[in-house]
Amino acid sequence: MPVNTPDLVGAADLLSALQAGYTWLEVHVAQVNALNVFPVPDGDTGTNMALTVRAALDEARGQEWTSVSELARAVAHGALMGARGNSGVITSQILRGFARGLDGYKEFNAAQAAHALSEASATAYKGVMKPVEGTILTVVREAALAGTQAVAQGADLAGWLTASLQAAQHALEQTPTQLPVLAEAGVVDAGGQGFVFLLEGIKRFMMGETRELVVPAMVITEHHVLEDSTYNFDTQFIIHGQALDVNAIRERIAEFGDSVMVVGDEQAVKVHVHCDDPGLALSYGITQGRVTTVIIENMQEQFEAFNQPPSIKPTETAFGKVGIVAVASGDGLAQVLTSLGVSVVVPGGQTMNPSTQDLLVAIDSLSQDEVIVLPNNPNIILTAEQAKAIASRQVVVVPSRTIPQGIAALLAFNFQADLDENTATMSEACNNVETIEVTRAVRTAQVNGFKVEEGQLIALLNDDLTAVADSMEQVIDEVMAKMDLDKYELVTVYYGKDTTAEQAEAMAADLQNKYPALAVEVLDGGQAHYFYIISLE
Amino acid sequence: MSENVTTGTIKVSPRAIASIASQAVLSCYGVVGMSSTRLVDGIAEVLQQGSYHRGIVVRRSENRITIDLYVVIEYGTRISEVAQMIMQSVKFAVEKSLGMPVAEVNVHVQGLRISSDD
Repeated sequence: MPVNTPDLVGAADLLSALQAGYTWLEVHVAQVNALNVFPVPDGDTGTNMALTVRAALDEARGQEWTSVSELARAVAHGALMGARGNSGVITSQILRGFARGLDGYKEFNAAQAAHALSEASATAYKGVMKPVEGTILTVVREAALAGTQAVAQGADLAGWLTASLQAAQHALEQTPTQLPVLAEAGVVDAGGQGFVFLLEGIKRFMMGETRELVVPAMVITEHHVLEDSTYNFDTQFIIHGQALDVNAIRERIAEFGDSVMVVGDEQAVKVHVHCDDPGLALSYGITQGRVTTVIIENMQEQFEAFNQPPSIKPTETAFGKVGIVAVASGDGLAQVLTSLGVSVVVPGGQTMNPSTQDLLVAIDSLSQDEVIVLPNNPNIILTAEQAKAIASRQVVVVPSRTIPQGIAALLAFNFQADLDENTATMSEACNNVETIEVTRAVRTAQVNGFKVEEGQLIALLNDDLTAVADSMEQVIDEVMAKMDLDKYELVTVYYGKDTTAEQAEAMAADLQNKYPALAVEVLDGGQAHYFYIISLE
Repeated sequence: MSENVTTGTIKVSPRAIASIASQAVLSCYGVVGMSSTRLVDGIAEVLQQGSYHRGIVVRRSENRITIDLYVVIEYGTRISEVAQMIMQSVKFAVEKSLGMPVAEVNVHVQGLRISSDD
């Protein structure tokens, strides 16, 4: 870690700087996500950018890099493979341009850095026919421009960083004047904000302004570190506030357990501790500020899972020749899928966004030569097609758009039939299932002719917004009323992470009473975001 | 695509829908052009401004609107993500303008544009 900003940056420092940028972005992911201007909670800018940069850095891990040129190229390649969402693709283009700018160099100075950032901006702009100003593109461009000007006036690396970041921040503040939708929502552009955090993290690291944020965050999110701890719960959260005292927080947290890692600054502190009562740590955290990104895991279970790489291990299936890969958004759902014969379940994560790589790894882990992939989400169908194109074995994608469709497809699977026949029957089965998803709107908007207020409950029928209401009962009533219930016999309710079993049972009993002709079943899906996923057959 | 209003009907031509769709597609990140729907000698023809509608096929049956887009994407971007964005943007733009649901948006990647310095 440089104490004085050096004049020449080598591969090792570049990698550390990029990691610092990633860490700073990751700490602020929730803040970036909150700037989105659409009502449905999946596919957020902050998460997408962070995941993309993380994939980029994963590609660079585990090697000794001797030239910035090669390091940058590897990082760009990782970003390409792991790009998620619009912002992720643009970020991958930025990294690609940056790598091109550093082509051939072992180290780089201020002038070369300025050139690389200009290339990054140019490549980003090339990726679209009608660049929209007031987005991340504007922010990168302004940063590159200011950086180049600073260097032309004789600035060193520190000067280049300061000028670029300042211009980026200024451009970000201007984005509402360029895009009316931002002004209406009263926010700056999310992608631009993400980029500013990346650049800020890099600048702070290079100028020695933060010494602690670099390595620890990467370690925490990997869970590769298996400490011999006597405590039960791996507890992590982030505290957002003002004038936070990192040292004081660390001292207090240390009283709860061991493996304490508390890092951050006055506005954001990331806490990690192994303790027996996570509630105590959280309660303390809440007294210090706003607590987000809470992760509490039972370490005993983690230890057991560590010894068998989770969910990429194929279970024994009776299906012989054909393996099945499916994506699930919750533990309960994963279990249901496995019980129905799925060989490998790929966790979709919070935003149902596994990368092509994730699917490929799952496909390759099977022993069968023929594989069927059930994406269970419209976002993933294309990723699945891409994995199919790259995979060496025979892969067929049955385009299931929801978990209930995936389940219907599984039930239609016939291990005695061949791959083509199964594809046909499974695809048809998908179409015979209706899926209702109930969640909460994260923003006020108008969709499908409905006026939605933030915080209201919304019900989606096969991905279309169909009902809006203030109470769970009402929204479900409304959506059910819109359906021709004579066509259906079986209703399966999968309740998510944010719903209790009691609530689900009560809702199901209510449904059963209202519609006695339907058979209602309740299962624990464990999915994030959606209180209920309901399938009708 | 027609709605019955008390004083008459509103009919929106496929060509008009294609225009709305093309504006949405072209503002998607990663899209660098529209392409012809047919490959001549295995090569897609990149369409010039004014002919973009030739890269878009709008079909309707009863109340189902299906839109097929033929695009050229920038080499080096993650195609699945770009295509996903296209589908969402076009669906959103057309539904918002028409007030009618779009049943399907299909993306056909006819080619990749390789920039001069790759």
